[in-house]
This record gives sequence, structure tokens and C-alpha cells, in this order.
Amino acid sequence: MAKTDVILCVDDEENQLTIRKFLLEREGYEVLIASSGQQALELLSRCEIDLVLSDHLMPGLTGAELARQIKLRKPDLPVILISAVNEIPPGAEFANIFMSKLDGPVAMCKNIASLLERTRRSQSSERFEGRDFAGC
Amino acid sequence: MEQKVNILMVDDQPGKLLTYEAILGELGENLIKASSGREALDCLLRTDVAVVLMDVSMPELDGFQLAEMIRQHPRFEKIAIIFISAVHLTDLDKLKGYQRGAMDYISVPVVPELLRAKVSVFAELHRKARELESLNRDLEQRVQQRTAELREREMQLRQRADLLDLATEAIMVRDMQGILQFWNSGAEAFYGYSRQEAIGRNVNQMLRTRYPNPPDEIESVVLRGGRWEGNVLQTTKDGREVVVASRQVLQRDGSDAGPAILEINRDITAQLRAEEALRRAEKLAAMGRVAGIIAHEINNPLEALRNIFYLLRSHPSLDDAALTYARIADEELTRVSHITRQTLSFYRESKDAVPVMISDIINDILSLQSRLLESHAIVVEKLYLSDGLVSGFPGELRQVFLNLIGNAIQAMPKGGLLRIRISEVMRREHHPEGVRVSICDTGSGIAPQDAKQLFEPFFTTKSTKGTGLGLWISRGIVQKYKGIIRFRSVKLLKGNITAFSVFIPKSASPEISELGLVSSASTS
Repeated sequence: MAKTDVILCVDDEENQLTIRKFLLEREGYEVLIASSGQQALELLSRCEIDLVLSDHLMPGLTGAELARQIKLRKPDLPVILISAVNEIPPGAEFANIFMSKLDGPVAMCKNIASLLERTRRSQSSERFEGRDFAGC
Repeated sequence: MEQKVNILMVDDQPGKLLTYEAILGELGENLIKASSGREALDCLLRTDVAVVLMDVSMPELDGFQLAEMIRQHPRFEKIAIIFISAVHLTDLDKLKGYQRGAMDYISVPVVPELLRAKVSVFAELHRKARELESLNRDLEQRVQQRTAELREREMQLRQRADLLDLATEAIMVRDMQGILQFWNSGAEAFYGYSRQEAIGRNVNQMLRTRYPNPPDEIESVVLRGGRWEGNVLQTTKDGREVVVASRQVLQRDGSDAGPAILEINRDITAQLRAEEALRRAEKLAAMGRVAGIIAHEINNPLEALRNIFYLLRSHPSLDDAALTYARIADEELTRVSHITRQTLSFYRESKDAVPVMISDIINDILSLQSRLLESHAIVVEKLYLSDGLVSGFPGELRQVFLNLIGNAIQAMPKGGLLRIRISEVMRREHHPEGVRVSICDTGSGIAPQDAKQLFEPFFTTKSTKGTGLGLWISRGIVQKYKGIIRFRSVKLLKGNITAFSVFIPKSASPEISELGLVSSASTS
């Protein structure tokens, strides 16, 4: 039974957030939304989240700063920064992937899927290497 | 009004003195009486005496002896002495008298007219002599004064000239006709004409001065207001055109030749060029900033729209027609994204340069454009003498070749030949090793009048689409790689051949900068 991945979508623009949520739900993900970096961190502390998809330019914490904060708390949690700016901002390296909103929905979904896959694989390989040997 | 002279009469007999006084009173001069040699000498020393009238035989002193004493004094060497002698003088005595320097004799009984005549002659002589002396002194004084003035003036001028020579600005003085009278070393250095070459020539002719207003207008401003300031265009001796900040001041008492104009000129050519470059850079920077803002503002709703149509494309409630509309909308929006990405930034996909095969990029582009190439009936010829391996960002390089190949295709709407050549360039003096790509088409060609502006932003020869930014962006990217982009267009009988050539050095990695759009554009 495959667990549905939970994606946390962060964006200060309501329309964007709503559409992205619809789209990702169509792709089969469970989606939580936050309209600020602060809200996102709060949700992170309460809920189980598999991937964070965040806008960069937001009031308060920028996406890059949010990525840094997330990595401080949960270094293994994959973060994708999706932005409308045309230049890669400083601090983007805290995220696993930086992509442009111009890349389109197909690219976005592909990035999400491949990142989740990679994360899953690395987690399972760690387990296999004996980090977590529970009974079955 | 003539000055009175002093006449000294010496006689031991007062009666005689009175007689002389009576006779000479008519002359209107100063008569001084002395009754002894001592008195006479005393008087001579105190007063300026013109004539001495002397009795030859006096008790204390022999007239001759007195005369001798008088004559010995350097002051009285030439003083006129008239001897009056009662004693009958022989010629020998007369001679003795003359030897002692007497000027004249008059015998007793004295003939009044004769005495008056002789005295007045000497008096007049003396007066004239004194007048001459005074005139001389006067003249001498004036000459001295004038000499001192001139020397002072010369020193001032020399000091000023020294100061002016220290100035690096061009300083000149010219008369109202424009003839140069002064030309400092700053002017020599700046304009290239030596002092000898410049002085005497008409300044505006020599320098081919171009004024912002008609020259006679400016001259009248100087004459009325005393000064004029403005920028003028001039040409140096070696033919260089310079822009000069000129300041002209009227000098009313210039030289003896009338008013003159002092002109001080400063070279502002470099300054203006720098200002212009700065303005251009600022404009581009502003454009870059605006572009960034627009990009961000457009990209957000654009993404939302694309997501919506992506959702709609597979929505179960839509019929075929609606699905088609959704699909087309999706395609158009993709195109818009492409355009905004291309025109509003240099989007870099990663932070580090990677090895890039230009042959791969071009092949990619050609396959992307295959439908268009077919519909335009364009034959493609590939001449890859090398893979074209360079270090860089594939997205940017793709943009450059997409632009060039796209232009070539658009130039051949009714068929033609597109030849693409990739070759390695070996290292040469002043030329690093790298990859050269040439894209050649047989299309409409580039008109000579367009050639100069081809790489300028917003310049386009295409009547319909085209932002006019393609080549400008491409050049910017090539410059970032420290490469070269060139073109040549030749008009032949059966058509035109246009070739664009791009050179990318192998080792130079493109300059990483935060400004992206701005820095590459302003390195033009």
C-alpha cells in the first residue's frame, strides 16, 4: 500500500496556490497550503510532510530563507523553490531544486516526482545499510 | 614768464655799484652787490649767479686773482665774468685776463648800452642753460619713470605667462579679428601647434572652431557682457575632433592694439564620452530593472494560466471542441513563456559552467525547427569539422544559435540554403583557441544602412514579429563568453549571401554576474 505523498505548497498569491493545489491533487498528491514561510514552518512542525514546494519572493521569509530553515530542522526533507524571477537568487542553493514558473506544469510535476523518488531511494538504502533495523 | 637770473656786481666803491645797478636795472634781472672779494665768493657759494661783474683793481683782492679763485671751483668753471677796468689795458693784460678764464672786458667809462648788452647776453645764455638743464632733468625723470613702468609691466607679464604656462588648460589671447597674440604651453600640448606656428594666425580658422551659435552672435555677447561660456567643437593639428569647454573674457586694455579676448579652453571630450557611456549604462540598467520587474509580474499569472489549461486539457467534463481550445491555449501560453524568458532575462539554469557540445545544441535546434525548415523549403548543409566542445551554460548558448538560425530561416521564406559550419580555431597571437560557428543563408540579406545598428536593442528589420532584442541579447551572451560575433552580407546577381560567425573561446568561462542583463549589455 503506497502511502500518498504529502506536499506542502507555499505561496503568498492565493490564486497561484489554489491552482497549484488542484493540479497536484490531480496528480495524486495530498496537498497542504501555506501563504507564508512562517505558516509553512508551523505546519511542518505539526504535520507529516514529504516535500515542500515554495515560491521565492514572499513578504516575510523568502523561499530561499524558508528552505534554509527547513534544512536546519529536517535536512532530509526535499525542498523545491519555484519562482517567477528570471535570475537564480542568492540562497537558492539551500533548496534541492530551483526552477522557474516559466518551465510549466509538466516540468514541475516531473521535478516533484523525481525528487520524491530520489529521496525515497536514499532513505531505503540507508535503512538497508543498517541504520534502522526494526523487525518486520 | 622767464626766470630771473642773478647778476653779481663786485666793486669796492659803492658809488660805482650804484651806477651799475642803475644801468642794469632795466634788464629786469636780480642784481646782487658785493664790495669785496670775500663777499663775492660768499654770494657765489650761496646763490646761482649767471654773470659776475668785476672791477679789475680792488684793494683786498686783485680782480684777476678773484676770477682765478672762482674758476678753480668746479661749479664755477664756466661762469661768465665781465671785467670792468679803469686802467688802460694793454693787449697783454687782456690776454692775462682771458687766460684766467674771463669772458669779457668792458672799459671805463662804461657805456651803458654796451654793458647792458654784454650782461644780457650772458644772462640770457645762463638762463637758457638752466632751462635746458631743467628740461633735461625733467626728460630724464620721465624716461626713468617710463622705463620703470615698462620693466614692471614686463615682469608682471612674465609672471603671468609663467603662471599660464603652468596651467594645463589651453590659454590664449587674441585680438578682435581673431589673430592670436598669446598661446600658452597648455594650448601647445592640447592643440599640437607650437607657439611659433600659432601666434599671428586666426584662431578659429586654425582650429576649425564650430560654435553652438553663429560666431558673430557670440562675439557681440562678449563685447556687451564681457564674457561668454559654452562648448565648442574644434580640430587639433593631427585632425582629431575635440569637444572643448570654452570661456572667453574681454580684456579692454589688452595691448596697445586695442581690446583683446582671453580664451581658456578645457578638453571635455573624454568626459562627455564617459558621461554618455554612463547614461547608456544607466539606461540599460534601468531597462534591466524594469525587465526584471515585468518578468516577475508576468510570470506569476502566466504560471497560473498554464496550470489551469494543463488541468483543463484533461478535464472529463469538456467536449472535444473545448479540449481543443484548451490545448491551443496551452500551446500559446507556452509560447508566451518562451518569449518572456528570452526577452526579459538571461536565464541561467545552473550556477556552474559545464562542458557543452555546440554540435549537439545546433542539432537540437535544427530538429526543433525541422517543420519550419520543410515548409520554407530550406536545404540544410552541415559541415562539422569539430564537435565544438566549450565550457558554458547550454541554455544561453542555445539562445544564441536559436536566434541566428531563426533569423536565417525567416530570411528565406521561399526556400534557400542554410549552411552551418563548426570548426576549431588554433591559438594565435592575440587570439585564444576556441570554436567558430558560421551560419550562412541565401536569404534577403542585410542592407548596408542596417548593418551599423544590427546589434542595437529594439532594432528590427522584420516587418511582423520580432522584439528586436534577439541579436542584442545574442551579442551580450557572446561577450559574456569573451567571444566574437560578426556578420557579412554580400549582394550577388542571383541573390544574397549572409553569414554570421560566432567565436567562443575554449578556456574562458563566461563571466558570472548577478546583474545578468546589465553587465553583458554594457560591455559593448
